[in-house]
Amino acid sequence: MSITRRNLTKLAAASTVVASSSARAQQPAEVVFGLISPLSGPWAKSGDLSRKGAEMAVADINKAGGIKALGGAKVRLAVGDCGDSPEKSKNAAQRLLADEPNLVGGAGAYVSSFTLAVTEVTERAGVPWFTLSYSDAITSRGFHYVYQTSPTADAQAKAALPTLLALAKAATGRDAKKLGIVMDNTASPVSFTKGLRAGGAEALGMQIVVDETFTPPLSDAGPVMQRVRAARPDVLLLLPTAVPDIKLTLEKMNEIGLGHGKLPAINNGGPMGSPDLLRVVGPDMLEGVMFITATWGLKGMEALTEEFRRRTGEPWITQDSLSNYAHMWILKAAVEAAGSTDREKVNAAIKVMDDPEIAKFFPGGRVKFDEQGHRVGASLVIAQWQNGVPVTVFPIDRAVAQPIWPGR
Amino acid sequence: MNAMIEQFVQTLAAGLTAGSLYGLTCVGLAMIFGIMRVINFAQGDFMMVGMYLAVWIAARLGGVHVFGAAAPFIAAILVAPVLFMAGSLLHRLLISRTTGLRAVGLSGEGHQAQLILTLGVALILQNGALILMGSSPVSIVSKLSSRAWEIPLLIDEDSTLFLNQARTISALVSIGVAFLLFRLIRQTGIGKSLRAAADNPEAATYVGIDVTRAHRIAFGLGAAIAGVAGALMVLSTPAQPFVGTDFIIIMYAGVVLGGIGSITGAFWGGMVIGVVQQLSTLVLPLQLQNAMVFLVFVLILLFRPQGLFGRTVERA
Repeated sequence: MSITRRNLTKLAAASTVVASSSARAQQPAEVVFGLISPLSGPWAKSGDLSRKGAEMAVADINKAGGIKALGGAKVRLAVGDCGDSPEKSKNAAQRLLADEPNLVGGAGAYVSSFTLAVTEVTERAGVPWFTLSYSDAITSRGFHYVYQTSPTADAQAKAALPTLLALAKAATGRDAKKLGIVMDNTASPVSFTKGLRAGGAEALGMQIVVDETFTPPLSDAGPVMQRVRAARPDVLLLLPTAVPDIKLTLEKMNEIGLGHGKLPAINNGGPMGSPDLLRVVGPDMLEGVMFITATWGLKGMEALTEEFRRRTGEPWITQDSLSNYAHMWILKAAVEAAGSTDREKVNAAIKVMDDPEIAKFFPGGRVKFDEQGHRVGASLVIAQWQNGVPVTVFPIDRAVAQPIWPGR
Repeated sequence: MNAMIEQFVQTLAAGLTAGSLYGLTCVGLAMIFGIMRVINFAQGDFMMVGMYLAVWIAARLGGVHVFGAAAPFIAAILVAPVLFMAGSLLHRLLISRTTGLRAVGLSGEGHQAQLILTLGVALILQNGALILMGSSPVSIVSKLSSRAWEIPLLIDEDSTLFLNQARTISALVSIGVAFLLFRLIRQTGIGKSLRAAADNPEAATYVGIDVTRAHRIAFGLGAAIAGVAGALMVLSTPAQPFVGTDFIIIMYAGVVLGGIGSITGAFWGGMVIGVVQQLSTLVLPLQLQNAMVFLVFVLILLFRPQGLFGRTVERA
């Protein structure tokens, strides 16, 4: 056959047909999703809860018939341990990408600084990546493959106080006027309270009457909490991040008669609702304590919560588990929409996604992402320890219990 | 003014209770350092082991109603013989190879080998705990931890001193254990052999004292005291594999502050650290609490390099 333009056109057409039928025949037997999580070190419990959520999602996806657009291909979860440092997190991401060349997308890595390190690697490889981490920096670097389903720390700080004030008023019928802050000097509380000190509290008609920052670990919470007792705030932002400091401050609050919700104490972040904390501190200490988080066991997902308890043995579903459960379903929906495991196509599908069903795993907003990768309309949950269980008390339409706000 | 007095008294009480516990941890380290001249990097990890043991024992005692609220303190006392035996065994198997008369032939009198060995023991204990116990913190949940004895200060109607029950009892037990140890060293035959081994190991051998045995007892006692201190602390500080590293610097600071080689001085060194750490919060931001401890540490060493008690008062 001579090489003419007509013959070349025929050859090209024939090869397209062959390639297409070959692609159908070689549809992947499995689709690989990734999870990088701290499975060792101080955050291991949160990492374990993240893994349990992602594993349950993958099991549910496969039970429901796998990826239908790919002929029912099953999903496999590849898990990496990011340990206790950004350096280990970066290594875990590199290892995951090397071990799993067919990785379609993933989620992780819980601690903001770990997520920043992991996404430096996944972005370069063009792997769509979801995270529950709060730091604003994660989605402010101009990356194209990173998606943040939680409201950022800055957004949380702006939304939290008005929400809490509304909650206080709904529960007590009166406005809270005096604010107390007790926190450690780690990144999360510092960024959370920055705006409040810079006029944010004042703009809401609140006066900061006690403001104490310590370097963890706290040797004795007595002097700090004594100042809180003397200042008598209406609401206390209690923001230690380490379990020993949480234990000391809560015990001291109870000791001086401010516990059990008498002085409403609010923390930010899922660790305040960890089953581990209950074991270390005990239900009495935690009674009435509130915390702000990106998602929690919401009204309408009782069946999921019960199933999670049954399968994992954990006493309740946490933000770590729930967010990563949702992340796997978002990835699945993107692969279905793309009809391919090609990362570029999957990423393009995420960019145009607007899924009302998966959005139910979050307290508000949609599963739709803006140009920077923020989930549109992401809002927060306020949960409160009641009778040894952290239950959602806000938003009111998704709350499973009324807030306790007894006042003094 | 009354509020300031209340705050001062409350802070001083917090300093004294924290200082008593720090003092006991420093005494444990001083036993090993003062008598054997071994810088024991694993001392904080003996404390960690004591914490886990106490949680385990208290969980079992908790089921027996007769012990009630006393269970954590009984557990703390029971930790002592276990860690004494573990410390003695560790000395027999490892530490004795780099200390005492065996160290005479080693470079730097065995100090380099001792440093590496105790650092290795520390790493084994930390990572062993991580494998066996996991990284989740554990604690003894006791009502005493969140209850206080309320003592009216009589300066006005509202002013009250809150003495946390768990911390106060822990502090009293610490003082009791330290006192018993002082008596043991000063008034018993074992104490005499320990002091002789500390003062001059060679001369002690000439007069028939088994220096290796004395060192074994000292190491066992040091480990046991660290364990008891950890067990008393676990009521307020949850146990986790690396918790010892939070305390090791305070231990060394206390020992140096009190005067290297002095066991009484080590207790008071720990007490000074606790009191300074708390009182500094009255005049400085809370974040500088630990910075103040080391400022005082530097000042004392500047004006009294031999430490508060030095070697002239007591050596072991």
